Amino acid sequence: MSQQQRLELVTKGTVEIMQPAELERVLEEKKKPRAYWGFECSGKQPA
Amino acid sequence: MMHIGTGLVCGTKIRDMVQAGFHFIIFLADWHSMINNKFGGDMEKIETAGEYFKHCFTALGLTEDKVEYIWASDLAEKANYWERVIRVAKTTTAQRVMRALPILGRDLKTQEAADIFEMSLDLACAGIDQRKAHVLAREAGEKLRWGKPVALHTPMLMGLAGIQGSEKGSYDEDPKLSSVIAAKMSKSKPENTILLHDSPELIEEKLRKAYCPPKIVEGNPVIEYYRLLAFPTNQTVALNRDQKYGGDLEFSTYKELEEAYKTGKIHPQDLKSNMARILAGLLKGVREYFDKHPEPLDQMQKLEAK
Repeated sequence: MSQQQRLELVTKGTVEIMQPAELERVLEEKKKPRAYWGFECSGKQPA
Repeated sequence: MMHIGTGLVCGTKIRDMVQAGFHFIIFLADWHSMINNKFGGDMEKIETAGEYFKHCFTALGLTEDKVEYIWASDLAEKANYWERVIRVAKTTTAQRVMRALPILGRDLKTQEAADIFEMSLDLACAGIDQRKAHVLAREAGEKLRWGKPVALHTPMLMGLAGIQGSEKGSYDEDPKLSSVIAAKMSKSKPENTILLHDSPELIEEKLRKAYCPPKIVEGNPVIEYYRLLAFPTNQTVALNRDQKYGGDLEFSTYKELEEAYKTGKIHPQDLKSNMARILAGLLKGVREYFDKHPEPLDQMQKLEAK
């Protein structure tokens, strides 16, 4: 997958990236960058 | 119970990230839930809820060979984790931390920032309502020279009642963002949300009652679900329609669908019934998974019934 394809896949459907240039650098420098999403373990979930 | 905002918006984005080559961690914040007094701070119940979440994401295709699941309590066991929390807190003023305490209540933003550094993350994902936590993490990371994580924010999914004029809240200084947060899928109003486990019949019934003004797109949750749920997971979206109302339609972009709706070429009822069908399709795998693994869902239902 090209850098451009990776970038499109990551940014698709988002409302904000802080900051796009930093994201591009991460994708350039790392094949397998580390990311996360945290979820509270409760009934109420921020979507 | 998990709603489609979490299951489909987050689930789809995580799948994108995995496909783009990320090592992706789904972080089950049991410790944070305990501090926030969720389930009365009962760790056993919190863990039951966490296990249920893990099963939901697994059912959505995020199996352990694709993503890593980490429990917050595993981080919190390490002494240097708490040192990190304190060091992050020291980078910011008390007032600043109070401001970052979100939104819907009580959360520890300093701790979330510490989590990011503890797991050596390059990027953190969250709904846009959580952006302040990431702003804090980025500033702390810079001051402490721990690196500045990239932050990725997804839209909030509107509840089925949509945003109707006077709706506003005090969740954010930005009134626009505030109203979006106000209208998001809130679990406190069950009739206003679609849950991952809703049957196709129940989804249809809920959508029938959804706010969906003809020709109007703003604040209309049904058309919003096409944009945020149907198009991101499909190349084209078909609308099945009775022959006498013009027959079936097919759209390859959301914009085309929006135009057709705005000009009155699609009736709200057709928009709703097709969304019900699309959602039932997107959730089919989840239903099948929990038919085979009923235990975690049963336990979660018991917890929520109390």
